[in-house]
Amino acid sequence: MSTKRSIGVRAGTAAIAALSIAALTACSSGGGDADSASGGTTTLKMTVWGGDVDKKSYQERIDLFEASQDDIKIELQLIPGEQYEQKVQTMIAGGDGPDIMQVAEGVNVYSSKNQIIPLDELAADAGLDLEERFGPVGTLYSYEDSVYAIPDRSGAMIVYYNKDMFDAAGVEYPNADWTWQDAQAAMEKLTVPDQQWGYAGAGWWAQWWSFAYQNGGQIIDEDGQPTANSPEVVEALQWANDLTHKYGVVPTAAQYADMGPDMGGDPAFAAQKVAMNTTGFWAINSLLDVDFNWDIAPMWQGQEQAVSAFGSGLAISRDSKNAEEAFEAIDFLTDAEAQAVIIKNAQDVPANLEVQQSEDFLKPAWATREVNMAAFGESSSFVFRSPLIPEWNEMQAAFDDNLGTFWNEGGDAKTQLDTIQKKLETIIKPAS
Amino acid sequence: MTATLGEAFGAVRATSPHRPGGRKAPRQKLTRRRKVEARWFWLFISPWLIGFVGFLLGPMIASVYISLTEWDSFTPPQFVGFDNYTQALTQDPIFWKALGNTFFYALISVPLGLVIGVWLANLLNKKVRGRKFFRTFIYLPTLVPLVATAMVFKMVLAPSGPLNDLLGVVGIQGPDWLLDPTWVKPALIVLSAWGAGGATVLLLSAMNGIPKEFYEAAEIDGAGPIRQFWSITFPQITPIIFFNLIMGLIGAFQIFGQVYILTSGGPDNASMMMVPLLFREAFSFYHFGYASAIAWLLFLVIIAFTIIAFRTSKKWVFYETEVR
Repeated sequence: MSTKRSIGVRAGTAAIAALSIAALTACSSGGGDADSASGGTTTLKMTVWGGDVDKKSYQERIDLFEASQDDIKIELQLIPGEQYEQKVQTMIAGGDGPDIMQVAEGVNVYSSKNQIIPLDELAADAGLDLEERFGPVGTLYSYEDSVYAIPDRSGAMIVYYNKDMFDAAGVEYPNADWTWQDAQAAMEKLTVPDQQWGYAGAGWWAQWWSFAYQNGGQIIDEDGQPTANSPEVVEALQWANDLTHKYGVVPTAAQYADMGPDMGGDPAFAAQKVAMNTTGFWAINSLLDVDFNWDIAPMWQGQEQAVSAFGSGLAISRDSKNAEEAFEAIDFLTDAEAQAVIIKNAQDVPANLEVQQSEDFLKPAWATREVNMAAFGESSSFVFRSPLIPEWNEMQAAFDDNLGTFWNEGGDAKTQLDTIQKKLETIIKPAS
Repeated sequence: MTATLGEAFGAVRATSPHRPGGRKAPRQKLTRRRKVEARWFWLFISPWLIGFVGFLLGPMIASVYISLTEWDSFTPPQFVGFDNYTQALTQDPIFWKALGNTFFYALISVPLGLVIGVWLANLLNKKVRGRKFFRTFIYLPTLVPLVATAMVFKMVLAPSGPLNDLLGVVGIQGPDWLLDPTWVKPALIVLSAWGAGGATVLLLSAMNGIPKEFYEAAEIDGAGPIRQFWSITFPQITPIIFFNLIMGLIGAFQIFGQVYILTSGGPDNASMMMVPLLFREAFSFYHFGYASAIAWLLFLVIIAFTIIAFRTSKKWVFYETEVR
């Protein structure tokens, strides 16, 4: 019978966590502070997500920072991706938030609720010019005109293409000048029914939103209002879907499911099932050892050039008692020396422009073949600014909840987007 | 077993000298030895008691309050009265969809699991070759971690996967199971039937406990195997069936892992269930108040079904001890 009771409890879990953590910190805080003060050093807690490569890279960068000075130490906590938000949320709710935390699209959940602190002043004091160091993404993690996180990793979505397939089909390699028509024509030539497909598909927000912005559409407009069912967005979504269900140049969900469990664009490209795939830097790692020829190129264009970018930034939680030290650490971690580690380990694209343009990045030591790394720099000039609203997760769910069948079986983009627009209007509080 | 436990408690109460109305049970007669015993009782029960109050009762009470507030877990909760409940019941189509899905799942998977469990137990109760081997084999799926099972089922349920190949052999064109809004719930039910072996083991031991004399007497009276099953085996195992029914209902209403791994509620919420929904509201959307309200609504649903099951149990559950 206890199982029956526990159901009421499930949502209360956070409450216990909050209570017990509060109690624990109340007991231990005295000791902890004394500890860090006695040695004259400050120990900062930093949380990041990811796997082994990420752990290694962050730790190496922290080691560099610790070697550069004697007063600040950083204790790194790596939390697996799926649990990251919940873990950090529980930590913050318990009043024990990390000093430095990695944030991405969800940044404004925290900033809108004052759980992370604005960094403008700290940056000004430290003489850090975000525009100079990071270019247009410098102020990406902003809320109401204040910067809440310093960019750390930032790379545009790029086109991976299978050179062997392109050569066999006699198609010119993809480039930034391609229009939708060029792209579709190439996909059609590269498709061999039931065997090989021209393109891996655009079912993920980062992919079809790129088309929407290329088409002059916007998901959320400048005033913060949803515009998900504008004709431009509708046309882009319909095209993305028609590539699968009308033109047959993208595998259907059923065809993907038949390739194996958790099959998607990235593994399908590595398995030589699709000729082109649009995704982030991370796919490079798994492609270094494959036995076919591939390369990367910047995204094609529509009415205009636009592409989404992935990345993450570093923020300071409101619980940090050592905000200045934390910022000092962030400043160092995003500076050239520490950022070079990111590329050395083939972890991601460093946000620091200086590193992005360095030889280390353009001709990485780990590259077992010629890879057009300049594609990232080329793309950065036309990256569109994702609407990082506080209700990001709810917005994503609104799309997922109404596009599932649409992607799986085809359908009318307008109908779906009208429903989504209504839902978004209820989720996003009108600016007052 | 719940019922038998309850009975056991009842029996203790009935024979206890301290029962209310028992005239000769004056309190002050607590002897020294009993006092010591009572102290030891509290000492030994305390780990459970502290755990219960701290980790179950406390959070439960807290979640009642949270369900009456709007709380994002960061900023202080705002009291909103019954807004969360009215919102769930009147304005949230996804809540009703999830509730409907959960009903559909629970009301089919639980009886189906029981039928399969009884059927397998009955087969295993026969004196067949390799009986022990089969018993182990049928219980084995219950031991496989849910995550592993779900991953395997992702392959089994693929549009051209083994299950559809099997259906193809008998001329049925199988659906796209997990990708099709109509078939995703049946797919989850198929997955639940895979774990029916857990009930089988309990049912089998209940069957083993039935005195052989009953069958001998029935055979002499000319009862065939079917009559024997319905007149002897089935009534004798009803308490265990009842136990499995209650536990199955509770488990089915709380289905989470399978959905989380296989479909995350998709496509288009066709497989969204109550617990995944409240999980999403709480940990993805930061609506803790609303999630708590959903939890309590689910609690009411489960308790309602449990009460119904207990009420009707008098009609069909047979306890030998109750026979006078």
